Amino acid sequence: MTKRFHVLLAVFVLITTVLAGCGGGNGNNSSPAASGSSTNTASVSPTPSASGEKAKLTIGSWRTEDREAYEKIIAAYNATNPNVEIVFNPSKNTEYNTILNTALQTGEGPDIIQLRPYAAGRQLADAGFLEPLDGQIKGLDTFSKDTLAAATGTDGKVYGVPTVYSSTQVFYNVKIFKENNIEVPKTWDDMIKAAETLKAKGITPFAFGSKEGWLLSLTHGALAPQFYGGSDFATKVLSGETNFQSEGYVSSLQMMKDLTPYFPENYEGLGMDDIRNLFVTEQAGMFVMGDWELAVMQKANPALELGVFPVPGKDGKATVTTWVDGSFAVNAKSKNKAEALKFVEFMTTKEFGTLVVNELKKPSTLQGVTATDPIVSQLSEYANTIATPYASVVYFNQGNPTTKSVLETNLQAMYLGSLTPKQVADEVQKSADTWLKK
Amino acid sequence: MKRSWIHLFPVPALAFYVLFIVYPIFAAFGYSFFDWQGLKRGAFIGLDNFVTLFTVEPFNDLFWNALKNNVFYFVLEMIAQNGIAFVLAYILYTKIKGAQWFKIAFFLPRLLSVIVVGFLWKLILNPNFGVLNVVLKKAGLGEWAQPWLGDPSTALVSIILVNSWFGIGFAVLILLAGLQGIPNEIVEAAKLDGVRGFRLIRTIIIPMMMQSITIITVFTFIQAFEAFELVYAMQGSQGEPYHSTDTLAVYFYRTAFGGNSGGDGLAIGLGSALAVVMFFIIAALSAAYLNFVRSKEVEH
Repeated sequence: MTKRFHVLLAVFVLITTVLAGCGGGNGNNSSPAASGSSTNTASVSPTPSASGEKAKLTIGSWRTEDREAYEKIIAAYNATNPNVEIVFNPSKNTEYNTILNTALQTGEGPDIIQLRPYAAGRQLADAGFLEPLDGQIKGLDTFSKDTLAAATGTDGKVYGVPTVYSSTQVFYNVKIFKENNIEVPKTWDDMIKAAETLKAKGITPFAFGSKEGWLLSLTHGALAPQFYGGSDFATKVLSGETNFQSEGYVSSLQMMKDLTPYFPENYEGLGMDDIRNLFVTEQAGMFVMGDWELAVMQKANPALELGVFPVPGKDGKATVTTWVDGSFAVNAKSKNKAEALKFVEFMTTKEFGTLVVNELKKPSTLQGVTATDPIVSQLSEYANTIATPYASVVYFNQGNPTTKSVLETNLQAMYLGSLTPKQVADEVQKSADTWLKK
Repeated sequence: MKRSWIHLFPVPALAFYVLFIVYPIFAAFGYSFFDWQGLKRGAFIGLDNFVTLFTVEPFNDLFWNALKNNVFYFVLEMIAQNGIAFVLAYILYTKIKGAQWFKIAFFLPRLLSVIVVGFLWKLILNPNFGVLNVVLKKAGLGEWAQPWLGDPSTALVSIILVNSWFGIGFAVLILLAGLQGIPNEIVEAAKLDGVRGFRLIRTIIIPMMMQSITIITVFTFIQAFEAFELVYAMQGSQGEPYHSTDTLAVYFYRTAFGGNSGGDGLAIGLGSALAVVMFFIIAALSAAYLNFVRSKEVEH
């Protein structure tokens, strides 16, 4: 009997861990709401520099690749503000939200938070985890309302300083294009012809993989506006004038499927690292990718001759797809709030903007900042002249699961042959229906 | 009754247990009855989260899909991990040369972190430069080469087999301990009576080591129904591709904490409801199984 009792006991202890794992992180459930109401009245604590000790700030981010760049930016800030020690502490892109949410719930987390744009960031602001910035820092008026919208809470207050745009466009290998006498495509058909030529030469036309869902919504977000008509379509979906089952949107999904012959072998099993390797090791000619990969690719293969072109026009003009990425917010529970606010204020200055374009190689949200890298300048110019919004992030990143992730999962199913483009469109519409009508 | 103070000794350990295990369980039970706006707790909504979980698309489809994958996980692990583990344990039991060395070798993968195991096998199974496909192509079996982790028909099987590779040493140890616990005179007596080979295993060995088999079965069951780390390490929080490797725990994690890179909404209430359902599934099935095998065990 005792043996059996011990087995039962062991079993009980094991199964309890399921629930313990769930409940553990949520212990302080009532505090976020409480802190939300108290932030406005709480006086900002003075920095401990009086005692000769440096104030310490941590920055949370999903940009593990940017560590060096941010360390340079921090060093530049320290040149005029020596009394503060700032640590840039990023976590993996796909895990950042979870790590951050769990930390915030227990009343911790970094002092300065890189905020996901739009709905996801708003959720943190609405839960009271963030310090409102209006009136607390200078320089917010340099940004347009549209740009600030990426970090504005439901209450209309601004919770983050938007620092960079993200944009998706087509990168290409200049050497491969030259060797095969391919011109930079001016129309959609030119691009398909270029892909044909590359394929005939045994070079993978597009570095692409469907193993990670976000790559699917990203590629679709870049190419599809040429088929469904960009932001016009998104506003019409929101107002109910049209929907995802419309001809334009379905044809954009069909286009994704029609590109299959130009994808690498076994693309169903390739993730981001695999396809980046294909492109930087010069085995693929084109790469529909975000600007943030530019620095990573240049570092991975300095000899790579990189070029960039906007997604060529199907019927109209060429476009790049953009959204505000990387706003920086201050944790309402930060122990060094004054110093944290001072640092995000620095992020509204031209000095910071110049550091951003040259170190992060991303288009700055601050106007009139020029970059030393010609490709970054080109990206910046595209982002300011021929941009269309990334609909999945800007408009359709709502619902549970989000319409964006429904699109990703179902596109994956389309590539695996279990769904037709029409069925994908139906699923996306079904997901949008769960929150659009509210 | 003089030494009743001795009963106070377990109190510190019990306090930790209550604080970190028992309290969170009841907290999770509590959360599942509330409406959550992101991280903020809203109104008490009774069983609404459970109703959503079982009746609203896509939550109900995802639940049954994940549960089906968990069941498959358990069945395949019983065959691939424990079946092979029994054969290995029996070979070691017959005292072959170097049994000690083999025991250590089988157990070695267990010393690696699951994340390391996941990363390692992701490299091995990479469709274009992974060792497995390269070897297949070199051996002239190119058409067998597959995007193992990218194809829904092979992804879950691949992960379960990796997990079996990881866990087989532990199963061997438990089963070997069971084999070695069988009194020698019983086996000798059976052999004298002319019982040999498979019949010896079926009629003497297995009934005599039923307790070890029960333990490893229950361990495998719980482990299969809590499967998370390896799926997460190799296929991410979406159970990619197309939810074909989704398990209840991964689904729970994604629902409660929002696992998507773009920032899925959090649904702590729904996630807690899912955890509660998982708890009851595992507890009920474990108890039922233990009850069932009670009759099969031989006391000695």
